[in-house]
Amino acid sequence: MGVTDNTTGRIRGYAARPAVVLLAFALGYLLVDLAAKLAGISVDPLGVHVLGGYVRVSSVVKYLFNGLILGLIIGLAGVGLSMTYSILSFANFAHGDYLTVGAFSGWAASYVVALFTLGLAEPFGEIFLLNVPSVVSIATSPAAVVVGLIVAATASVALVLLLDRLVYKPMRGRGGIPLLIASIGVALALRYTIVFVWSTNTRGVTAVGVESLPAYTLYVVDGSYSINLHEFTMIVAAVALMIGVHVLLQFTKLGKAMRAMADNKALAQVTGIPTERVIRATWIIGGGLAGMAGFLIILKRGVLSYNFGWRLLLFIFSGVILGGIGSVYGAIGGGIIIGIASRMALIWIPSGFARVAAFSVMILVLLFRPAGLFGGVTTA
Amino acid sequence: MSAETESRHAVTRNDGILEVRDLDAGYGDLRILDDVDLDVSSGEYVTIVGPNGAGKSTLMKSVFGLTNYMGGTVRFDGEDIAGENPEDIIHKGIGYVPQNENIFGQLSVRENLEMGAYILDSVPEDRIEAVYGYFPILEERTGQLVGSMSGGQQQMVAMGRALMLDPDLLMLDEPSAGLAPDLVEEMFDRIDRINGSGTAVLMVEQNAKEALRRCDRGYVLVQGRNRYMDDGDALLDDEQVRQDFLGG
Repeated sequence: MGVTDNTTGRIRGYAARPAVVLLAFALGYLLVDLAAKLAGISVDPLGVHVLGGYVRVSSVVKYLFNGLILGLIIGLAGVGLSMTYSILSFANFAHGDYLTVGAFSGWAASYVVALFTLGLAEPFGEIFLLNVPSVVSIATSPAAVVVGLIVAATASVALVLLLDRLVYKPMRGRGGIPLLIASIGVALALRYTIVFVWSTNTRGVTAVGVESLPAYTLYVVDGSYSINLHEFTMIVAAVALMIGVHVLLQFTKLGKAMRAMADNKALAQVTGIPTERVIRATWIIGGGLAGMAGFLIILKRGVLSYNFGWRLLLFIFSGVILGGIGSVYGAIGGGIIIGIASRMALIWIPSGFARVAAFSVMILVLLFRPAGLFGGVTTA
Repeated sequence: MSAETESRHAVTRNDGILEVRDLDAGYGDLRILDDVDLDVSSGEYVTIVGPNGAGKSTLMKSVFGLTNYMGGTVRFDGEDIAGENPEDIIHKGIGYVPQNENIFGQLSVRENLEMGAYILDSVPEDRIEAVYGYFPILEERTGQLVGSMSGGQQQMVAMGRALMLDPDLLMLDEPSAGLAPDLVEEMFDRIDRINGSGTAVLMVEQNAKEALRRCDRGYVLVQGRNRYMDDGDALLDDEQVRQDFLGG
């Protein structure tokens, strides 16, 4: 009885918020529409297209996979953003550019390794500045990709520690807003330093030819979807890093201290947890993950531009907020949902509007769970 | 201000572990404590009572390095710790349980206790056993998130965390605050047991009568100054103290 009362009460609560009903209706319509499209049914009373149409099952599978891959990267990058939020109490707008820094440093290193392993003829300078298009493939030069990933991590860690020392540490304890604004400045400085060295040109960095890159093809009802070795590498690396974060947080002394500090900074200090050291570890882990996420997403996309991290930041933020800002697992879960939503939206809308879909999903979820899916400020 | 300030010239006991003299401290520029004296001997049970805003919690925080130090001395085990920061003071053998937000709600019971021993290289299993000895319910709930536990159990976790380093002095800020009446008695019993094992206890308590009945010695603090100091029972019997601070 109590359960029923509770449920009706809840339903009444939702009904009191028209936006919730409207969004639930929109979602319901989309689901019915998707089912109709998959079945190839089109409903056009009086010549007005209302519902359905046609979409290939294989396309849906492709969108789903692409969304999952994007979501893993958003989630991986979100872990660091969420940790710095809960432990340092500010939203770091430079986080997206940490991805860019990781990608540029990592790919420059990859190119340099490829220069030797592949015996390229171009001069070192051209190689380092990534002016030679589409050189690296994990099939032809796995060492270049591995070294690139490691350099992406170390370079972004070094940068993040330097920035903490120069900018964030002196401002610690002044509240979240000054730090947030400082981080926007840091973001701009990073982006245009990259432009200064590598220019604003968008360049292809991975060699993606059918012959050069093995792929696994998955046959579905009416077509196929193939996942190539770069995507596979990216997925394995992202999942492994996420498991690593989980193990760190749950089973190591440092990880427990990070969770304790996210939970209650004042008590952490009284307990004798060396708070500055934990903050440094937070930067190292968050920055390293961001750098690697930046490198890995370029491995999948194949093209690199100076502002991709900044453009991705809104997705990362919405994933983090969706999952419940401060929660590491929320950042991962929220990132995957945002990634999938933004790709699945392509069934209905042109790719230019994919962002709108991602944010709509975020708003929808927040209407039901204002604190996010995993709620509250916690690194757990 | 007060003629009855007795502790000012109190004879320092030979086995005193905490010795506060003429302590001035506060927050920012605001001075809360004015020439405060306080002594705790090894294994002693001392209570600080007094009206709201008297500086009771501030005194405790000042011992632990959490306020702005402005003058005077704080000696612990013969060593001057005035003005040092909490991270160093913890190493000297003082455990402190703040009044509010004294647990890590998102961590399990065991993880809370592990954090209490963070400064050690490895988790002292014997200390965890000792804490479970004082609070058996915590052993049953060892994996539970502390945030989901009752107020009384959270208070036990908070004390357990502070006991992890086997401190010579345990400082408790209002351990009975927010507890249901039947739990208050139980909490005082547990503090008696902790004190009985040789740990000196310094406690700030709203529940002044009960606290004074149980402790060895009590201080009455008023407006940041020492007003009375005597054995707990003597303070309870003192007509003036009863009328002014204990509600008759």
